[in-house]
Amino acid sequence: MPVASPGPSVVELRISARPTLISTVRTVASDLAGRADFDLDAISDLRMAVDEACTTLVRLTTENDTLTCVFTVDTESIGVSVSTRPGWLGAKVSTESFGWRVLQTLADEVEAHEGDPEGPDSIGIAMVKRLGIVQ
Amino acid sequence: MTRPDTPFSTPSNSASPSPDAPAEPADQPADNSENDSVTGDDTNDTDQDGGNRRDGEYEHLVPLLAEFADLETGDPRRDGLRDELVKGYLPVAQHIARRFSNRGEPMDDLVQVATVGLINAVDRFRPDRGSDFFSFAVPTISGEVRRHFRDQGWSMRVPRRLKDLHVSINSTVSELSHELGRAPRPSEIAAKLDVPVADVLEGLEAAQAYRSSSLDEMLTSEDGGATLGDLLGEADAQLERVEYQQALEPLLGELPDRERTIVMLRFFGNLTQTQIADRVGISQMHVSRLLAQTLVKLRHRLEAE
Repeated sequence: MPVASPGPSVVELRISARPTLISTVRTVASDLAGRADFDLDAISDLRMAVDEACTTLVRLTTENDTLTCVFTVDTESIGVSVSTRPGWLGAKVSTESFGWRVLQTLADEVEAHEGDPEGPDSIGIAMVKRLGIVQ
Repeated sequence: MTRPDTPFSTPSNSASPSPDAPAEPADQPADNSENDSVTGDDTNDTDQDGGNRRDGEYEHLVPLLAEFADLETGDPRRDGLRDELVKGYLPVAQHIARRFSNRGEPMDDLVQVATVGLINAVDRFRPDRGSDFFSFAVPTISGEVRRHFRDQGWSMRVPRRLKDLHVSINSTVSELSHELGRAPRPSEIAAKLDVPVADVLEGLEAAQAYRSSSLDEMLTSEDGGATLGDLLGEADAQLERVEYQQALEPLLGELPDRERTIVMLRFFGNLTQTQIADRVGISQMHVSRLLAQTLVKLRHRLEAE
């Protein structure tokens, strides 16, 4: 009988949606990636991607709202989901900005979501960074 | 502490992006080249200077040095003698401080640091060892100033142990990148350095506090020029497909060459940081910092449009 895998580990951070707190999320991201033994490029990519995603969402909400960042650490990948409440009617993540291009380059998968997972009144960015190919 | 974590944390300043935008990249290359040349020639120059001055200006101090060195630690005459010596040799400290003056540190601070070096030199000099004061004092003083630069390179207090580890990690990273053809993992760095992975992780985190232009990161490669041009051509073609090209292109054009190249290669040429580091001739960690800084700048500028 194979030993049951414990499954992915989850780390969730809830911060006030303020720019000054983003560095904390960034540090958690690079710490998790470092401990998962991602290579240095991937660690740095994830760090920048998290920064970009958080900055994008902080600007789409009000500073009294909460930004929720969920990291899902698996053996081969780290998933990051950042979400918040839209600060005004129609506030949504643009997928035509330079920032989006940056996210697409830095993460292996990225998507903007609305109405998920925090109920209908939520916007967010979900991305996956993979460990990379070992030669 | 006073300095926010530069690469990333500027979103809070988004109201006034432009004033600091051109300033930073401008002093990086300058800083590097100056570090290079100043470090390269200051020993020679100061030695010559020492030579010129040795005969006249400082002649009367030589017997005082011997006298000072002979006094017991508790001797009441020591303080006065020490003052006289430090004052007498002060021009030497000022001269050395001036050699480091165009590296962005305030002149007063440099003179102060150099003077600390001079005091150390006066305290530690032993005339009976045969060498003269200048050949002992000049390296002692410039060593003190260099240490100041090394410590100032860190934007927050980082223990000496981590700074040293940062230096060894940095060189191991470039070695391993060449061996592996990709960026190394923390475990690989740890194995190579024969230290625990936890230490490497700590050292990498400390590296985030390091200011970008530093003594160990010179712009070295000149020969990468042709390839760079080719790659930039491809990256430019990629940029043309981007809808917001019109907004972005002028901003990219305003960036210093190196920053622009790095951003283009990463986001429009799809090269990894390690590949870029290789082509541009700086370390992966330096590419990482420059990329992060430049992204913050671009973000501000795009918003200001």
